[in-house]
Formats: sequence, C-alpha cells, structure tokens
Amino acid sequence: MTKIITVITLFICSLLSAQPQFEQGMGKAFQLWGEGKTTEASAMFERIAAAEKTSWLPNYYVALVNTTAAFSEKDRTKLELMLTKAQDALDTEMIKDQNNSELYVMQALIYTAWVVADPMTNGQKYSIKVMEAYAKAKALDPNNPRAVFGEADYQLGGAKWTGVDTKPLCVEVDKAIELFATFKPETPFSPKWGLERALEVQKGCKK
Amino acid sequence: MNTKLLFTAVFLFLSSIIFAQNTISGKVVDEKGKPVPGANIYIDGTYDGATSSETGEFSFETTATGNQYLVVSFLIYETFKKEIEVNNFKNQIVKLKESVNALDAVVITAGTLESGDKARVSVLKPLDIVTTAGSAGNIIAALQTLPGTQTVGEDGRLFVRGGEASETQTFVDGIRVAQPYGATTNNVPTRGRFSPFLFSGIAFSTGGYSAEYGEALSSVLLLNTQDEADYNKTDMGLMSVGLLFGNTQKWAKSSLSVNTAYINLAPYQAVIPQNVEWNNPYQSLSGETVYRYHFTNGIFKLYASFNSEKFDLNQKNINFEEPIRTDLNNNNFYLNTSYKGSIGTGWQLTTGLSYGYSKNKIKFNLSDLDNDENAAQLKLKLRKNVSEHFKLSFGADYFITKFNENFDDNDAISATNGYDSNIAAFYTEGDILFSKNLAAKVGFRLSNNSLLDETTITPRASIAYKVSKTSQFSFAYGDFTQTPVVDYIKYSKYHQFESEKASHYILNYQFTRHGQTFRAEAYYKDYSNLVKYDTRDIQYNSVFNNNGSGYAKGLDLFWRDSNLYKNLEYWISYSYIDSERDYKNFRTTATPNFIANHSLSIVTKYFITDWKSQIGFTNSFSTGRPYDNPNETQFMNGKTKAYNSLSFNWAYLLTTQKILYFSVSNLLGTQNIFGYDYARTPDAAGVYNRQAVLPTADRFFFVGFFWTISQNKNDNQLKNL
Repeated sequence: MTKIITVITLFICSLLSAQPQFEQGMGKAFQLWGEGKTTEASAMFERIAAAEKTSWLPNYYVALVNTTAAFSEKDRTKLELMLTKAQDALDTEMIKDQNNSELYVMQALIYTAWVVADPMTNGQKYSIKVMEAYAKAKALDPNNPRAVFGEADYQLGGAKWTGVDTKPLCVEVDKAIELFATFKPETPFSPKWGLERALEVQKGCKK
Repeated sequence: MNTKLLFTAVFLFLSSIIFAQNTISGKVVDEKGKPVPGANIYIDGTYDGATSSETGEFSFETTATGNQYLVVSFLIYETFKKEIEVNNFKNQIVKLKESVNALDAVVITAGTLESGDKARVSVLKPLDIVTTAGSAGNIIAALQTLPGTQTVGEDGRLFVRGGEASETQTFVDGIRVAQPYGATTNNVPTRGRFSPFLFSGIAFSTGGYSAEYGEALSSVLLLNTQDEADYNKTDMGLMSVGLLFGNTQKWAKSSLSVNTAYINLAPYQAVIPQNVEWNNPYQSLSGETVYRYHFTNGIFKLYASFNSEKFDLNQKNINFEEPIRTDLNNNNFYLNTSYKGSIGTGWQLTTGLSYGYSKNKIKFNLSDLDNDENAAQLKLKLRKNVSEHFKLSFGADYFITKFNENFDDNDAISATNGYDSNIAAFYTEGDILFSKNLAAKVGFRLSNNSLLDETTITPRASIAYKVSKTSQFSFAYGDFTQTPVVDYIKYSKYHQFESEKASHYILNYQFTRHGQTFRAEAYYKDYSNLVKYDTRDIQYNSVFNNNGSGYAKGLDLFWRDSNLYKNLEYWISYSYIDSERDYKNFRTTATPNFIANHSLSIVTKYFITDWKSQIGFTNSFSTGRPYDNPNETQFMNGKTKAYNSLSFNWAYLLTTQKILYFSVSNLLGTQNIFGYDYARTPDAAGVYNRQAVLPTADRFFFVGFFWTISQNKNDNQLKNL
C-alpha cells in the first residue's frame, strides 16, 4: 500500500513540477514542426513563451520556425509577417540577455532571410548587419559551431557576386564541423541544428 | 500519518486534473466578419491553446478552471485579451481589430517622395543617388530624375513645380541648411554641397509638407545622417577630377566618420572642349565629419562640413566686346548638432542647432563684390504618442540671419548693403489614425519675422485613404510663406517687404506592389505677394512692391519597376506643368524662363553578374523653355528647342573592395540651349542681337578608382559612387 502511495505521490510530484510540462509542450511543438505544421508549431512555442518567461528557448524557436519557413515562402506579405514575428520574438529575449551567442546567430539568420527575399534592395543594407551579428556571436562563444559555420556560409553564398577567395571560408566550414562534433547542448532543447547543412556545404567546397 | 486520508486527497486531486478538462471553442473573425486563419488562441499562462483553421474556427481543451484570460493574437491585429469563464466559453465569436501600427497601414503620401530604410515606400533607394547615371554623386542631380522637378541646366539647383530654386529649403536631421549649394556665377551650374556618403534617408517633398518646416514656398529636402556607422574602415578614391579620403571609427557607443575631398577640374577641362574660357579651373577642398553618441534613451549627432572653392573664368557677354572675367573664392562652414531621444512615457524630444557661414570674394573684371552670411537655427520639437490613434507634436524654431555685402568698382562706386533677420516660429500638428485605412494630419505654423515686422499663421492639412491592399489616395493642403530672397531684402528699408505666399492643393494616388511603385499626383499652386521691381536689374534705387502673383498646375507621374527582367531596375518620371507669373520686372503675366511644359526622365540600372558590373543609362528630356525676345512685341514669346541628355555609367568590381567607375553625361553630344541673352540696345539696323546660354561644356566624363580597406571584406564604395 505504502509503495503504491509513494509511486503515485512521486508521479504527482513530477506532474506538478513544471519541468515535464515544459518538456511535453516543447516536445509537442517540435513534433508539429517536424510534421511541417509551422503555423501550429510557432503558435505552440508562442504559448510556451508566454507562460515560461524565464526560458529563452520558446521565443528562440518562434524566431527559428518562422525564419526557416520564410526562406521558402514565396508570398511577399506572408514572408514579411513571418520575419517580423521572428524579429519580435528575438527582441523579447535579446532585451533580457545580450550575451547569448545563439541569439546573435538567430539575428544573423533573420537578416539573411531579408537578403534572400530581395537581394537588390536588402543586400547592401543587411550584409553588414549579418556579418556584425556573426562577429558578435563568435566573440561571445568562439566555439559555437553555428556562428562559425553561419559566417562562412553567408560569405560563400555571396562569393559569386563578390568574388572573394573561397578557400579560407571552406577552412572555416571544416572547423565548424569539428566544433559540431564536440558541441554539447546545455539542455535537451538547446539549439543543436546546423551539422547537416555544414556537411552539404563542405561537399560543395570539395568540388 | 493517516495513509488513507493522504490517498483520498491525492485521488481527489488527480481526478480534478483528469475531469476538469474544459473545451474552449469558437471562431476568429476580422472587423468585416471574415474568418482569420492562423491566429493563436490560448489561456494566458498555460500551454493550452490552438491555432485557428482556414475557416477561423478553433477548439481546444484546458485543465485550467474558473476565470482565466483568453488571448487571441495574430500579427497584423491588435492582440485580443479577455477574462472568460473556462467552463462556459463555447462557440464564441472573437472579433479582431486591425492594428493601426501594422506594416501596411496607410501613410500620407501626397507631395512626399521618400528614400531610405524607414520609408515604407521608397521611390529612391539610398544607393540610387550614386548609381544613377548622370548624377555624378550629386544628390540634387539624382533628385532631378523624379517628377515635379525641372532641369535647369545653367543653374543646377532644384526647381520644383513652377517654383524658383530659392523656394526649396534643405534640412539636415531636421535643421535648416542656409547655404545648401556650392558657390557659382552666372550660368555656371552648381552642385549640392553634401556628399551622399553620410546620409541614410532622404525625403523630398514637392509640396504640402508638415508645419514643422517653414520658410519654403515650394519644397523641402530632408536629409538624415546615419544613426550608426557601419564599422571601422578607410576609403580612398583616385579620380580624373581629384582625390577622396575617408575614415570611420566605431566604438561601443559612439562613432566618428571623416571624409575629405580635393576636386580639380583641370584634367577634365583639358580633355573636353569647353564653351567658356577658364583662367583657373574649378577647385575645391572639402571635409565633412559626423560624430554620433548613443545614450540609453537617445542619440546625439554632430555634423560639420567645411568647403573652400575657387575658379576663374571668362564669359562672353553680348553687351561687351571683351568677355567678362569672374574670379570667385568661397569659404563655407556648416555645423549641425542634434539630440533625439525619448523621455517619460511616450514622449519624444528632438532638439538641435545649426550654424552656417559663407563668405564669397568675387571679382568681376576690376570690380570687387564681397559678401558674407551668418545663419543659425535653434530648434525644439516634442512628440507625444497620446494613444495608438493619436500623436501630437509641437515645437519651436528660431532663425537668425545676418548678411553683408560690399561692392567696389575700384573707380567711382562703392556700396554696402545687408540685413539682419530674426524669425521666431511655433508649430503644432496632430496625427490621427482613424483606422488602418484612414489617417489625417492637421496643424499650423505661427511665425514672426522681425525684419519684415510681420506675423503669419499658415494652416496645413492632409488626409490619406487606403482603398485596397495596393492602392491609396491622399490629399494635402497647405499655406506657405517665405521671406523674399537676399537679392531683394538686402535693400530692405523700414520693413518695406512682406513675405511671399503660396497655397498648395495636391491630390495623390499611389499603387505599390512588391518591386513596383506607381504614383500620380495632380496639383494646383497659387502664388501671391510676390516681389516686383521696376528696373532692368535689381538695384538700390529699384522701387519694390509685393503685388506679384502667379499659379502653377500640373500632373506628375512616376513608375518604378524591378520585376520586368532579372537584375534590371528602371523608373520613368513624367511631369506636365502649366505655370504663369507676374513677378520680378515682368511686363505682364507670363511663363518664367525656367519652366518646360513637359519633362520625361528614364533611368535604368542593370547588373551583369558575369562581368561583375553595373551599368546604367539615364535619359532626360524636356520641351523648350520660354525666353523674351525684345525684337518681338509679345513678352516672353520665344521658346528654345527641346533639351535632351543621355548619360551612361559603368561600375566594375575589380575585387570586392576595389571598384573602377566610369561615367559620361550627354553621350550623344546633343547641343542643348538653355535660353538666350539679348543685347540691351539694338544694333544699327534696329535689331537686338542675342547670345545663346549654353552648358559650360557639352559633356562631362569621369573615371575613378575606389578602394575600401576594412576587416569586412564585403564592403566597398559602390554605394558612394
């Protein structure tokens, strides 16, 4: 009897503590994202963000979900809405903590999406900001593989226009891949994306 | 411990979790009752929620009980938040209001052509100033490709909608620039003093502008310096007409940019045949600096420029056998400081002061004409966001101008003229956003001029209505006053002059879609109180009055498109104007000589990736301009032939940071004639002889090499060209 009660009590305790709820919610949101339901995933992350003001992760994912979706969005109005939402979510976290390397990587990604959407208008204006954001991210955490890779990837993307030497950039990509191997996310939901794309770019470098 | 009791308690608690699932359902609609898909509906503070479907419907379960806040959010709408009873919220309709601050909310566009980051609809992009063929880095020349402007080749300044060049005022960071143009003489065109280098936004208003700006009858040009420097860098330029050097340093909260230039037109004048005889080529040495400091709640900016210019030339004059020699030296200094920041809740404060000093030393043959002008402005502006629907701004201005001129023919005549003018002004304006589709701005300006001993009140009003996602109409009305130009008021005695006046009525239609902008604007301007005089030239014994009047009416069209063909951008401007005036020493009402009835500009830019090049063409065309032929009885009856100029530029990226730039104006070498100067007296046969007013040279060409040194390998000076 006592055993049963203990089990139940433990179960309840775990239910009552916020952690599993957070994990469940985040898990649900990732699941929606995985199914390609970006609007629903973003909404779920937004709800978690509204309830969990102490974690920067929900808003980070609101930004990431919307920014990555914006890269393939053709409708100009929707694209602007997505990037505005991403920027708003990021701004919320940036005010709380200006020393988080991942937030600057996110910022660079949002600017990159603006450039991709309209290179003629935004190229000149945002390129500088993209590079600044990556520089800041690297300064805060030199071993952040996303910062190292992102910076190189952005310049490689523009290489056909700017004619920069791609060799040192490819060296940076290699370095980022090594960093991905040793990178350990702080929590199960901390950002850990980027390796696949890096490997793809590495292939391009070897051609 | 009573285990049974604990068990019961736990069980009850558990069951409450299991059984207290309440269903929340309903439908999200907009103000017109149309479903809003994709809205986020949730119970505040919980994870429980849903996303509305294509039909706007939602349904979810929540474990929350009692009274809770239901939140419905969607970006372009005001967030809906309402206390509900969770067990009693089913099949409810939630109506969302469109946010008036949404990205695509209506903006008053009558009269204003904007460029820059903050502008929602950019007619010009920051890069355009420098990559427009024929502009040669001159802000003014790039603006002359926009509708509402006149090409007045022998002057170079901005002539807007039937207004004289002096009717346009230039402002840097909201503060007036007293001497915006370089020094020049009769029929030698000038350029804007400001390099496009340091400005991130430009708003060019061709009429109906805000009560914040006064002392301008026709137009205001608003230049805003960048809030932030890009990063540490050094720019160098080697040009066929001189040298450039620039450096930018950026720190945590502040940054400093310095640019210097030395211009000498000797090599150009040696290569291209000139229509005037140069004793000494045009030379200038200039420096500009911007310092910015970011406070927690605001930004302080200091802009200063110094410019020293000289040239010496001989110009033929129909009245004299020998050409007239003009030897000019000009020194100009301009300082502008401003602070912009937020105070309290929803208040925004802008304050600043400017000081301009210009000194000319001109020699016409043996005569000396020296003049100097000191001009200052103090400004304070406050803006309060009273609510999302109402913004109030008010402010005060104080202008001080001191002008002195000495003339000495080194023989018999010597004279001194000058004036001191103080103008105090106050303005207030309200921005009302009735809805996302309807906005209005109403205000007035009160101004007192001590030199004229005059107080004026000028109302301004504008309204904009958005008819669809892509189009909107705006209407603007305003009264404007301006002190008569220095040529008159330097002879002012006993407050004899009055301000000149104009009223603007503007109707604007704008269509915007991604990559495309179309604007059509019809306007009517009514001029009154214009200065008239009774002598051939303006002189100390002229009899002046303020009885002149005039009108200007017309239609401006603008089309810009970047969707037609990949990597191609182009715009087309067309202006039609009908304007007549009775002013100056006009015998009767007539169209002034700077007005061409039809003007057309076509600007193209094409980026060729394989060549790492951007090439551009600009063609400017305008119909003939009137001139007065004293051999005919009718006043101002002559008309010159049409004007046309085709310009070309080519920027080639040697490497990312090294650029080779080439440009040539009037590629076809069209022989343009701006007007005619007639002899004061007829010859023996009773005929007044004439001389054509020509460009100083038919073509201008430019070759330059630009190099940027910075850690960021992607930056270059393409934007500065």
